[in-house]
Amino acid sequence: MNLLQQVKSLVAKDLSLEWRSKYAINSILLYVVSTVFVCYQAFKSVDIFVWNALFWIILLFASINAISRSFTQESPFRQLYYYSLASPKSIILSKIIYNTLLMVFLSAIAYLTYSIIFKNPVGDALFYFLAVLLGSVSFATVFTMISGISSKTNNNSTIMAILSFPVVIPLLIVLIKLSHNSLIGADRSGSYSDILVLLAINVITVTVSLLLFPYLWRD
Amino acid sequence: MRKNWWKLLGATFICISIIAGFIGPVPKLPILHETIRNVYFHVPMWFAMITLYAISVFYSVKYLNQGNPKFDIIAVEAVNTGILFCFLGLLTGMQWANITWGEPWPNDPKLNGSAIATLMYLAYLVLRNALEEEQKRAKISAVYNIFAFPIMIVLLYILPKLTDSLHPGSGGNSTFSDLDMDNYMRPVFYTAVAGWILIGIWICTLRYRVRLIENTRNRDVNNH
Amino acid sequence: MKLFKLNMNKTLLIIALTWLTNFAAFAQSGDVEMATGLRSSGKIWVVVLVVLTLFIGLFIYMFTLDRKIKKLEKDK
Repeated sequence: MNLLQQVKSLVAKDLSLEWRSKYAINSILLYVVSTVFVCYQAFKSVDIFVWNALFWIILLFASINAISRSFTQESPFRQLYYYSLASPKSIILSKIIYNTLLMVFLSAIAYLTYSIIFKNPVGDALFYFLAVLLGSVSFATVFTMISGISSKTNNNSTIMAILSFPVVIPLLIVLIKLSHNSLIGADRSGSYSDILVLLAINVITVTVSLLLFPYLWRD
Repeated sequence: MRKNWWKLLGATFICISIIAGFIGPVPKLPILHETIRNVYFHVPMWFAMITLYAISVFYSVKYLNQGNPKFDIIAVEAVNTGILFCFLGLLTGMQWANITWGEPWPNDPKLNGSAIATLMYLAYLVLRNALEEEQKRAKISAVYNIFAFPIMIVLLYILPKLTDSLHPGSGGNSTFSDLDMDNYMRPVFYTAVAGWILIGIWICTLRYRVRLIENTRNRDVNNH
Repeated sequence: MKLFKLNMNKTLLIIALTWLTNFAAFAQSGDVEMATGLRSSGKIWVVVLVVLTLFIGLFIYMFTLDRKIKKLEKDK
């Protein structure tokens, strides 16, 4: 099997596992809806700065919760079996693709519920949605590798938070700036450099993950 | 002494930068006044820090390729020394900012970026503490070190250039070369940077050698 | 002994800090006023000398540390 086929079948395996149990989707959905509702009860109405910050915080924690399990949800024996079948590159690539799909789906739903429960003040809706998409893709690429690293330690979830926050803050800074620009309906051409930086970070993280993951699982 | 010439060179460079930095002429600037001389002492901290982190990443890559545990010790001691320089840079920067910008921690992307970079390397040390087994610890922390380094570069060099900053050379501010019109500051500044980088590497090698001695001693104790 | 050392370090730090803030406050007063008085009277050299002594002392200390470690390495 070549790399592309392996990746395809691994992603299909992850998707069907998820489809059978619907564990991740349901738990994260519940998480998103309840936090949005709690925030709504606490704030009632907010200005756009708080609106934007709250949305990204909710999305950040939802994505950490969703992705931190990506290397621990299956038993070590089954993982050993996958490793003997597929190359490490295809495993990490398939995880990144699967997490990206999951995050895009989740963030779309989060954005919908958030803007239904809170009043949606977005000036440039299409561009804001683009920012959300970019954000979820970058969260997925960064967190997949970090969850791979933290799955090797014993207290997985704490290490996951400690390792991922410093890495994800630069992403969040750019994302909040980009989404704020689209929120106030600013000229789109002013945000192209931000989008470029985000895409560059994504390309870098995916290539570095591809290079490093073979060292990570071989132990 | 033949092998130690570079340590002496670093020490001399710093002494030269101190003399020239206090006595030499500087451009007269409205807010900065004499504090412009801090360029010779505050900024080299960051150069030393980045160099040490780069050394650490270099040895992490080498460790992953060759598996020699000595490379892992070099990587972690370079990070430890880099964190020292990072804190020195943050402290001196805060003192300088308090006088010239009116507050020790203005909301500036370079400041926040370096604080987050510190967090990244503290997380690296936490990760090392969380792993018991030596070989596993070395390998996994090397992976994290290499993974975090490009993101730190983005954080420290690319993001400040895009946003408004109080530091020179970013967000449409005048750059260092605009400030230094008579080109007197430049040689002194580069001397200071080279000196501090050499001293940083020296401290790192000291720590590395102490660590090696400790390791062999521990092994002896365990064997007997 | 250890306690004493710690205190000594602290006092040194405090002295250094007060000196720093004094110097900075001095530099700030007036518009584009540089420390010309200090320089023309030649007293800036005192400051340079003090800082140089500090750093040279530090470097000598590091060299002795270096030698001590070398001795330990040879013991092995």
